[in-house]
Amino acid sequence: MKKYNILFIVILFLSGCSKEFLDLEPTNKISANDLFATEDGIKAYMANLYYRAPVEDFNWAANPYGGGPFNFTGNIAGMYPIVWTDEAVNSEYDDIQLYGPWAFMGWWEHAYKLNKDINMLFSVIPDLDIDNEKKQLLYGEAYFLRAYNYFGLAKMYGGVPIITKIPDLNTQEELYVPRSTEKETWDFILATCDSAVINLDDGDGTKRRANKWIALALKSRAALHAASLAKYWDKAPLSGEAVDKKLVGGMTNEDAQRYYKACIDASYEIIKTGKFSLYGANPANPDEAATNYFHMFAYPDDAAEEVLFIRDYVTKEYGHMYQDWGQPNQTKGTWPHPGRFNPILDFVDAFESYSNPGHSSPIITTTDGNYSNYSGYNPSRNYLEFDNPLDIFADKDARLKASVILPMATFKGKSIIIQGGIIKTDGTPVIEAAGEETIDGITYHSFGSANPSLVSGFYPVIGTRSGFLIRKYLQEDFEPIYPPVAACVNDWIEFRYGEVLLNYMESVVESGQGDVSKAEEYLNDLRHRAGHTTNISLTLENVLRERRIELAFENKRIWDLTRRREYHKVFDNTYRHSLVPVLDLRTMKYLFVRSRVSRTHAWSYPTQWYYKIIPGISSNNLIQNPQY
Amino acid sequence: MKMTNSNFATFKKKKELRRVISLLFLFLLTFPFVFGQSQKIIVTGIVSDENGPIPGVNVFIKGTTNGTITDMNGFYSIPVTDNKTILEYSFIGYKTDEEIVGDRTKIDVVLSPDNQSLEEVIVTGYGTNKRKNLTSAVAQIDDKAIVTTQATSIAQKLSGKVAGLNIRQNTGEPGSYNNSINIRGFGQPIFVIDGIIRNNAAEFQRLNSEDIESITVLKDASAAIYGINAANGVIIVTTKSGKKGKVSFSYNGVVGFSSPTDVPEMANAVHYLEMRNDANIFAGLGPFISREELDKWREGIPGYESVDWYDATFNNNSFRQEHNISATGGSEKVQYHVNLGFVDDGSILKSKDLNYNRFNFRSNLTAKLTKNFTTHVRISGFSDKKESPYADGGQFFSIWRGSVSSLPVHSIYANNNSDYLNRVTDGQSINPVALQQKDLTGYARTQNQIIQTSFDLVYDAPFLKGLQFKILGSYDQTHNYNKFVRKDFKLFDYDEVNDKYLSTKYNYPPGISDYRNYDYNFTFQGHARYKKTFNEKHNLGAFFVYEVRERKRQYASINKYYDFFTNDQLDYAIQRDQVTGGNTVHERFISYIGRINYDYLGKYLIEFTTRYDGSYRYDPSERWGLFPVVSGGWRISEESFIKDNLSWLSNLKLRASWGITGQDAGAPFQYIPGFSVSGGGWWAFENNVITNGVSPPALVNKDLTWMESKTIDLGIDIGLFNNKFSFVADVYKRDRTGLLATRLVTLPNTFGGVMPQENLNSDRVKGIELSFAYNDNIGLFNFSLSGNVNFSRSMNLDVEEAEFQSSWDKYRRGQSDRLQGAVWMYNEIGQFQNYEDVLHSPIQDGSLGNAKEFPGDFKYEDLNGDGVIDGNDIKPMTFDQNPRTYYGLTFACNWKGIDLNVLFQGAGSFSARYTHVYTTMFWLESNLPEYFYNRWHKEDPYDENSEWVPGKWPASRRQPDVGMLYAESDVWRRNATYLRFKNLELGYTIPKRITQKGGLDKVRLFVNGNNLYTWTDPFLKPFDPESNTSPIGLGTGWTYPIMRTFNIGLNVNF
Repeated sequence: MKKYNILFIVILFLSGCSKEFLDLEPTNKISANDLFATEDGIKAYMANLYYRAPVEDFNWAANPYGGGPFNFTGNIAGMYPIVWTDEAVNSEYDDIQLYGPWAFMGWWEHAYKLNKDINMLFSVIPDLDIDNEKKQLLYGEAYFLRAYNYFGLAKMYGGVPIITKIPDLNTQEELYVPRSTEKETWDFILATCDSAVINLDDGDGTKRRANKWIALALKSRAALHAASLAKYWDKAPLSGEAVDKKLVGGMTNEDAQRYYKACIDASYEIIKTGKFSLYGANPANPDEAATNYFHMFAYPDDAAEEVLFIRDYVTKEYGHMYQDWGQPNQTKGTWPHPGRFNPILDFVDAFESYSNPGHSSPIITTTDGNYSNYSGYNPSRNYLEFDNPLDIFADKDARLKASVILPMATFKGKSIIIQGGIIKTDGTPVIEAAGEETIDGITYHSFGSANPSLVSGFYPVIGTRSGFLIRKYLQEDFEPIYPPVAACVNDWIEFRYGEVLLNYMESVVESGQGDVSKAEEYLNDLRHRAGHTTNISLTLENVLRERRIELAFENKRIWDLTRRREYHKVFDNTYRHSLVPVLDLRTMKYLFVRSRVSRTHAWSYPTQWYYKIIPGISSNNLIQNPQY
Repeated sequence: MKMTNSNFATFKKKKELRRVISLLFLFLLTFPFVFGQSQKIIVTGIVSDENGPIPGVNVFIKGTTNGTITDMNGFYSIPVTDNKTILEYSFIGYKTDEEIVGDRTKIDVVLSPDNQSLEEVIVTGYGTNKRKNLTSAVAQIDDKAIVTTQATSIAQKLSGKVAGLNIRQNTGEPGSYNNSINIRGFGQPIFVIDGIIRNNAAEFQRLNSEDIESITVLKDASAAIYGINAANGVIIVTTKSGKKGKVSFSYNGVVGFSSPTDVPEMANAVHYLEMRNDANIFAGLGPFISREELDKWREGIPGYESVDWYDATFNNNSFRQEHNISATGGSEKVQYHVNLGFVDDGSILKSKDLNYNRFNFRSNLTAKLTKNFTTHVRISGFSDKKESPYADGGQFFSIWRGSVSSLPVHSIYANNNSDYLNRVTDGQSINPVALQQKDLTGYARTQNQIIQTSFDLVYDAPFLKGLQFKILGSYDQTHNYNKFVRKDFKLFDYDEVNDKYLSTKYNYPPGISDYRNYDYNFTFQGHARYKKTFNEKHNLGAFFVYEVRERKRQYASINKYYDFFTNDQLDYAIQRDQVTGGNTVHERFISYIGRINYDYLGKYLIEFTTRYDGSYRYDPSERWGLFPVVSGGWRISEESFIKDNLSWLSNLKLRASWGITGQDAGAPFQYIPGFSVSGGGWWAFENNVITNGVSPPALVNKDLTWMESKTIDLGIDIGLFNNKFSFVADVYKRDRTGLLATRLVTLPNTFGGVMPQENLNSDRVKGIELSFAYNDNIGLFNFSLSGNVNFSRSMNLDVEEAEFQSSWDKYRRGQSDRLQGAVWMYNEIGQFQNYEDVLHSPIQDGSLGNAKEFPGDFKYEDLNGDGVIDGNDIKPMTFDQNPRTYYGLTFACNWKGIDLNVLFQGAGSFSARYTHVYTTMFWLESNLPEYFYNRWHKEDPYDENSEWVPGKWPASRRQPDVGMLYAESDVWRRNATYLRFKNLELGYTIPKRITQKGGLDKVRLFVNGNNLYTWTDPFLKPFDPESNTSPIGLGTGWTYPIMRTFNIGLNVNF
């Protein structure tokens, strides 16, 4: 009986202690009070906001297969934005239609989530236990991030709902905010930039956190975008409710002039401080110009005078894959998918030559000088022949060899072999096909070697199919290592002085406002940095060509084509072209064949793609963009 | 009913046997020396089973209470009055036998075991019950039936044997334990080993089958006694305990050889080159290889030999062995069962660098401390180790991928010089001959060590008969230790021109990773139990249990690099760039469990169970849940109107159960707002200094709670002819509510909040389950045939969905009130026959028209007739990769010392689709399966204008150059229903009189074969339909193949 009692008591006792027993503390959560109590906590909160800002960098890949769209480190087969434009093709895939409106579905929700967290920052700043100066800087950063975010939204969707505080869940008006007109949206972005500029300080030379100059550069870029839209949106007419209500387009020439003025003013404020200048502004010769220009993108911190804002990649765990995808096959290390970015001939043609300043200088391959024939090798034509394939590019703007790996160019100490065929001694051409001929015991293979590992061109997938590979952003001392993926850690320049100059001159030439002589001076400054010695005049054509060359592969082309409504003209049943180096075994010299890029099709850009589809309209009650 | 031929044949045989037996009787009768008296007869004899005499068998004169029991030698002696007397021999676990005495005085009887015996004691939640008294859907399988299959995982040993216990082996990789365990289509159950809840299937699968007394499966609401987490059912394992008597040792040993059930054949060099050449020409490029070069490959002259990468990487066989030694025995006071087991599984890698071994031990002790106190002390554990080459990521699949992707035209060694492994990197893989070597690439090692201890004290109250108290404490400790050693290695390119070997480093920089996980589980239970029969009619039982559980987990990871590889020790790697991680988990649960069961004369049965469960996971207001169950049964066969009139109907029971169970849902602590240091991105505000971001909290959900399942089961048990034939049928339905989802509709996507998980969705599983068993003997020939089948379907009820744009949109994307797992496909209606056909068929390639379609490509039905094949032309046509039907059929027999066990098993109502190399031509420039060779091609491949030659598969092209070839259709997604000759075991027990001379009680030798043959779609057969198509989350099929194994084994008792 006694023992029974003891057992009973033990059980009862244990039953009694239940309530507190289940009250565990979470091991992985930080309260808002603890977080915002310290400057390090605030910094950690800011890090998350900066990270999610729509920086269109190495990890920007609006990916229709899911994931993305920015900070995307997954495998999308090298389908980065440069291959959706007239800058490059992917060595393997031909899907320019990836740049469809659905690819951007994910942006919308990312942007509004970021918006909510920026609004949360606005709401906590007044109560923070820091001095007013620091509070003001935080406000400045908050405005900068807000402007950045809405800029990301506006250039994709047109007019969007503007939400500047965290809505009360029980108030329908706060929850269901309708779209503003496109004009109101751009006005809001520019005004927000102004708020950022007022609150931010000089920045003390920092390149990695918002300061006054970075905010101005953002304004310069956004204002130019808005101005171009105001001027050109009706070049690609759309119709529907969103157009009628001016949620997209609907801006006037006055708006355009106003926005151009805003761009000119913001740009000039940066220019006139004298804090910034072009890196390597006075090269001794084109070779030095090329070296400088290449170096700036490989090592942005060495170009402190030109760089305004950097996205810094630090460790292999938090890197990108851009160098991997871009790497020539011969230097790919263990990375399995090299050579995916193939700059196209149309882009190479756009570069000036030193002997003919002020004009694009297409690559001439035949004695008749006809460069519009892309029908492949024709034995009846007289081809120019070269001992060294590089000779054909000898006179071109230095930025070509700094941005593009040309056939037989030296990269990482290796001659990058890009050869697409041979002409046999009996005159038989073997071009973009396997073939070989043995002469004096030496076998000449159509692609330069029978071993695909030893060449970088025209073998399917691993080799370029345009005749060119990207060089910009590839560091000479980087060795691709796979795994891990996303192990590239070179930094991205988000804003630089060169772009500010280009924004200024475009606004001047488009609007007639601002100082024409200064604009022309800036144009020639950029050209001078590229090794040009002859000045050219300020014309729209010259400015746009300069912009295309100077900002190549910087993910700007996609928006330049958009804001100026040129996408549907550039891609109108359009093929992209390649330059195939061929070794003529009869003379042991190289000739070049202008061709269509093999295995590609003609593409057109539908005009409704200028505005992307808005997701979730059945629940957010918004008016959809035209023609979706 | 029509009698089939085979039935008729057995019928005839039986008739003949009977005739023979009758003749034997007559023969006996004609021998007068037996005896002559007829008054008082003494009948004697020996009762035995297949293994020898059985002591303690009841021998009764039928219809009376007069009887006796057999002695230690199985001998009995009983007086009978006349030769019409019927003797009844019964013993628990055996079928009751009856013998008419006739003129015999010596009657030897062989009893055959009866798994379906109504008296059999079945383990249920927190207790036991006799089979006849069960009111819910419970299945039990005993040790003998488990060990007939040879496999390292317990799950494999159960496959096909228990109705509703659905097992799928996903891979044959040694030590992977990758089996899906699913009860009735509900999902993975929880595992209760010796009364302690364990949520881990890995632990369960690593149990030593030699330790297991029985495994019980709770399939319906009866599982609710285990509360939160028991919604998918419960598997209860009871381990062996000691038996009184002299110590008996037993040794069991098995050795086996395994080879893949099948593997896909890849193209050889000539076929590859012919197809690759086609692909180049069809893409508008020149030939891939010249005629002259191709001819050299055809002749296979030196330097032009095709490489079979599979043969270069793998052996034909792997070796496995398993040994167990145990001792059982005890005195009146103390009984023990101790066992030590060892398993060693090899692989088919040529390097033999992938292997697995495991040691198990167990010591179960029962001690009667005083008259009223008994204690059980159980200590068990295992230690296992799996080691594999690091390859290029620590996983097997990259080696397999290499063996299928690498081109047959590439050589294993650069310039065929065996000092230089060739840099072969076809199809995302690396030379598999290099990858499979531990010495070259490093290794991946997984080790687990578990110690499980439990101690209980049982007190039988002397003052009230039938009252019992028990306290039980259990403490488990698990250590998981994973280590990856990545060594850098070189592969070589041969530069012909300069006669040089150019090297490329792989796995660089070398590194070492260490992952350590410590898990501690503590359980305490207090039981009070009462059992009483009133007036010999009313049987009442009740118990109450209080249970507390706590789990703590600590995890840490270390990743370091080497400047140059030294050895595989952490401290030899450099400090720079090291990455560490870790986390802790702390969980607590409290439960109150009660049960009352009552029956009237064993006829009307009713049982109530309730569990009141508290979980740390939720807000205090949502923390506690009540999970009631009620079940009842009616044993119609006990009613006199059946008993008296239908004596052949030995058992008829109707039963029904209904109950609610819970299931843990959602991340813990969602009721507390808080920022998280993970998932928050990062930014470098200073050069090369990362600031990690904190991610803001989701909206708080204080209402989050477990999902709730309502399960209903209706069953019928039938036994005929003294339970020789038994049949069980169940229909069941489970409705779950409160499944997790995040809101889509209620807030606009401009709100920007991260919505919390909420209990929003619901679903339903419905199913039918049938099983039967037939046990009989013809003289000494005992046999049994049993089978089971489970059909289930699951469907969504409510699903949180965004509003639909149109009725079409709803049809296309809606999920509510739909069957789960339907696959939407194009309806493939044949192949294009010529270019005309391509031109005049609906457009398949979107804006490119049909530019990428070729004769021989597949064309699809234009469902909506708009002339365009697009997303509007698909319809749900098949089920996904999860089987919805499982079935098994077992035949077992023994005759004298020979025993045979045959098992067929299979699954149905599911599909398989392979991707990547296996169904894509030249996937990333890799090799392709040989089946593609039967293809549309040109009569003269070098002449574009020559005639098409039709084939089974489309014209060869690279992946970027095809149109809709690989769209989802039944070309690629195949019905994977299969039936497999799963198991055959043939054993022979050497007669005792021989073995006893050597001092051995029993010696049994057996041969055993697993996965002997599979019937399925011939296209899928090479992949084995049971294996999982997606080892890395894709349908790659780069899985270690499922193996066919031949074993020989030995059981010795002494």
